[in-house]
Amino acid sequence: MGDSVACVARRGPASEVDFALIGHQESWRAAADVLAVLRGPERTPLPDDEIKDLLPWIPPRAVCHLNVGSIVGAKARGLYIDSFIPPDRLEAAYVHENIARVRGAAACAINTGAKIVSLGGFSSILIEGNFDQLPERHDTAFTTGNTLTVAFIVQGIKKLCALEGRNLQRSTLLIVGATGDVGSGCAHCLAPMVKRVLLSARNVERLRRLAAELQAQGVQVEIATSLQRFSAEADLVICAASLASPSLLLGQIAPGALVCDAGYPKNLSPRAELLGATVFFGGLGQITGGLRFAPDFHGILNRHPFPDVVHGCLLEGMALALEGRFEPFSQGRGSITRERVEEMEAIAARHGICLAPLYNADGPVEDGPHGQTEKQPMQETAGQKWIRE
Amino acid sequence: MEPLIDVKASPMECTSLSTSAPIWQDILAQAMTGELLAAMNYASLSEICDDPAEVADALEHAQGERGHAAAFAAEGIKIGVDVPSNVDAKHWKRLRDAFLRCIAERDFIGCLIVQEIMLESFAVASYSRVGKVAPGSLGKTFARIAAEEEDHVDHAMSILRAERALAAQRFDDKVYRLHLEVMTTLAQMLAKECKDGHCEVCHASCVKPRLFDVSLSAAELRGASLRQYLRTLDMLGIPGEVTLSWVTQLPV
Ligand SMILES: NC(=O)c1ccc[n+]([C@@H]2O[C@H](COP(=O)([O-])OP(=O)(O)OC[C@H]3O[C@@H](n4cnc5c(N)ncnc54)[C@H](OP(=O)(O)O)[C@@H]3O)[C@@H](O)[C@H]2O)c1
Ligand SMILES: [Fe+2]
Ligand SMILES: [Fe+2]
Repeated sequence: MGDSVACVARRGPASEVDFALIGHQESWRAAADVLAVLRGPERTPLPDDEIKDLLPWIPPRAVCHLNVGSIVGAKARGLYIDSFIPPDRLEAAYVHENIARVRGAAACAINTGAKIVSLGGFSSILIEGNFDQLPERHDTAFTTGNTLTVAFIVQGIKKLCALEGRNLQRSTLLIVGATGDVGSGCAHCLAPMVKRVLLSARNVERLRRLAAELQAQGVQVEIATSLQRFSAEADLVICAASLASPSLLLGQIAPGALVCDAGYPKNLSPRAELLGATVFFGGLGQITGGLRFAPDFHGILNRHPFPDVVHGCLLEGMALALEGRFEPFSQGRGSITRERVEEMEAIAARHGICLAPLYNADGPVEDGPHGQTEKQPMQETAGQKWIRE
Repeated sequence: MEPLIDVKASPMECTSLSTSAPIWQDILAQAMTGELLAAMNYASLSEICDDPAEVADALEHAQGERGHAAAFAAEGIKIGVDVPSNVDAKHWKRLRDAFLRCIAERDFIGCLIVQEIMLESFAVASYSRVGKVAPGSLGKTFARIAAEEEDHVDHAMSILRAERALAAQRFDDKVYRLHLEVMTTLAQMLAKECKDGHCEVCHASCVKPRLFDVSLSAAELRGASLRQYLRTLDMLGIPGEVTLSWVTQLPV
């Protein structure tokens, strides 16, 4: 038996799992890298066409074990479960098939005895509002992980504003995908701190409802289903739309705008013209108390230019496991409040889970000890390199 | 040697399948070969069983598989083709040899793993796919036999689960050893293109490129078979991350 296989098989009873993370791959490149690790370095990697033919047939299942540590000494054991949603099948046309995959992944998590399960990327979008569709569970709680995602988006925005010497209070904030769980959570946290908020999504009724909520708190709000109507004034932008692929063009925004792309997959199209803007990938956190994968998927399952960086949605499950709070912390679209974000931030921080260094497709955004930021190069467009990968 | 199958059919259903008939002929030939091999495997298994009930069970299974082979032959007649078989064709022979090694070791559990978990996963999945697209009684026959093969798997599952409960690691190691032998051969057989010459079952050149003409594809048959195999291993309780690496390490 191959070494890696034997070692995983002898890891002991599955019931020792504290948390499970459910995810899917963002691109075929990422999927290919996962399969290459599983295949082992001694075998030639599968050709791209074989990967595209094989992956859709893989039933949801665990891919690797994780051990996460806290700076205060707590430890938690977990599993990463992939639903194997093919990266090019996130569109609405595949919704039933994808819900079935997430349900299958959830069943795996329940079978392992995981006490808390984070629903990464589209998993939560597919299951949100349908939690009753999950297999029967007794001691397994599910969280979307969106509260910690919102926390890191907000922290990222504040950090970049501080680095760039921007005054948040004088900013016009545009949120694309504003009525979503992440988007509305960001709106609730940031709206009271900025001059004006522009909310965008496709469904105007939901936009109106969110706008009314914010206006009741004294926030100056505008809504539009077409970005062209108001994006030109936005100098802070959060992209949090549930797009199946990086297709957001964004249109004209204020010169030198700060743009957070929090989508998974990324929202911004490689063709988006964001000249002079500073783009960063938002919602990411870093574990400082130690993270181990077995087999070693470091940099493969978390494809970031910094070590131990993980998406906020997955980190929330780990933070709750380290805290011993096995509860559905984030559930129900649109219920993320500032207070809940602060509570989750505190839990994460206690265990050394903090905002990841800011970066984009071209590398780190924070440049050197003085924190000077890099502008989007005039010829390059946001997300281009990411997509090329 | 007594005939392995007893064909009872008349060429009544000869229809206008003339263009696709050669494709169905090859699909039927592969299926019939698999059934005859299964019949031989169960007959061999009956020889190493101690318990008379198990002997009877194995012989009944062998008879059932011969019935399946006969049903496929009959479907051939209905569409006006002769369905050849070749249990000595290279891939099939290697599968038979792997089974015979288990027999030689009087390894009843090994035999069940090869036949019920590996070969039947392939049969259930591929027959189901064919059953969905094949016209008329041809499709119905594939679908019916797929369902019957699934019952075989269910029967073996309880025995194998009980065996795994005794010593999980030893059991998983055995499955892995057999996987390397049997599933590697099945993977080569199911590869999108035959890279190592003629399969010795198809009547002319390899049928795989022509499967598109009957709304099938080699990639789909392989994918469905591997999915069925992974699900069957899941039911046995072997950790999913372990079986995932097994399957991703197979040749393509
Ligand atoms: N960085 C991280 O760690 C992290 C964590 C969690 C989630 N995410 C990602 O964040 C994004 C949002 O997640 P969520 O849970 O908030 O999803 P959600 O609740 O389903 O919300 C999606 C939002 O996007 C809008 N939208 C969908 N399609 C759109 C389109 N074509 N144009 C404009 N707006 C569109 C929706 O409103 P309408 O339907 O009315 O348009 C809604 O406002 C996803 O990409 C998700 O994967 C990232
Ligand atoms: Fe059969
Ligand atoms: Fe059978």
